[in-house]
Amino acid sequence: MARLNDEGQWIVLMGFVISISIFILAIIVSQSALVGQTTSESVLEFSKNDIQDLRSEIMSLKERGLVNDTNLKDDIVSIALQKQNAVIVIENRTDSVSRTEFISIHFNNGITIYNETYEENY
Amino acid sequence: MVNDIGQLYTIEGVAAGILMIVTAYLVISSTTVITPQDVHIIDMQLEQLGNDALAIMDTPDSWMDKSMLQTQIESSDPNRGALFAQNFSQIINSTTSGEWDSMKFNATITHRDVNGDLRTVNFYGPEYLREKAMKVSRWVTIDGSSIPGMRNENQVVLFEVLIWRG
Repeated sequence: MARLNDEGQWIVLMGFVISISIFILAIIVSQSALVGQTTSESVLEFSKNDIQDLRSEIMSLKERGLVNDTNLKDDIVSIALQKQNAVIVIENRTDSVSRTEFISIHFNNGITIYNETYEENY
Repeated sequence: MVNDIGQLYTIEGVAAGILMIVTAYLVISSTTVITPQDVHIIDMQLEQLGNDALAIMDTPDSWMDKSMLQTQIESSDPNRGALFAQNFSQIINSTTSGEWDSMKFNATITHRDVNGDLRTVNFYGPEYLREKAMKVSRWVTIDGSSIPGMRNENQVVLFEVLIWRG
């Protein structure tokens, strides 16, 4: 090597900086794809719609005065056990002293557990 | 004669080349991950769309009225399934551009019969035999139904719709 040409060092440096930043961006892109997958999987696994639907059904039974009907509750409990793999318990009682009606909803499908006690004065 | 003046440029060229190859490899391998992710997001949107459509159809117009879904399940009209399909299809297949989407679906009802056993009856459409479909369901309270085998009294049934892109 007779004489090293050391002009244009900035060009060399910029070349390295740019290629390293592209490299890092590519890593971020590949990570974000994985994050999107796990997010949508967990959304699908969480039985939000089953719980919302169960709650709205029980509330509509209450509004129609049918929440004491054990036959209807048996329908929900036994169908949910087979079709949604969910154990559901629905309880209702009234407290005549405080004039309050309580409705308890318990939902458990092995992954998601939801418990609620709804109170309403009458 | 071989000229050895630009040695540093040669090294830079080799290093940049290796970096570009590694970057291209990373980008290509990450796109193969995007494919299943894409499928899951579409499933997620399909599930939400179907549940919203069923919620719309199971909401009565006014207090103590029967919802559209309840009326159709209770109906003794043999075309009740087709009527349901027409309404449901209108909700899930309409787009903002005015074109029609290509979603297909079938519907089944699961109920308890007179002996307390569970039975599932087909309400609309053929049995689905492919993969990649989303199931959405809705509890519906009905006052009885003329569908064979169903108790003719107040009961809660599970209305299930399987949706896929046709």
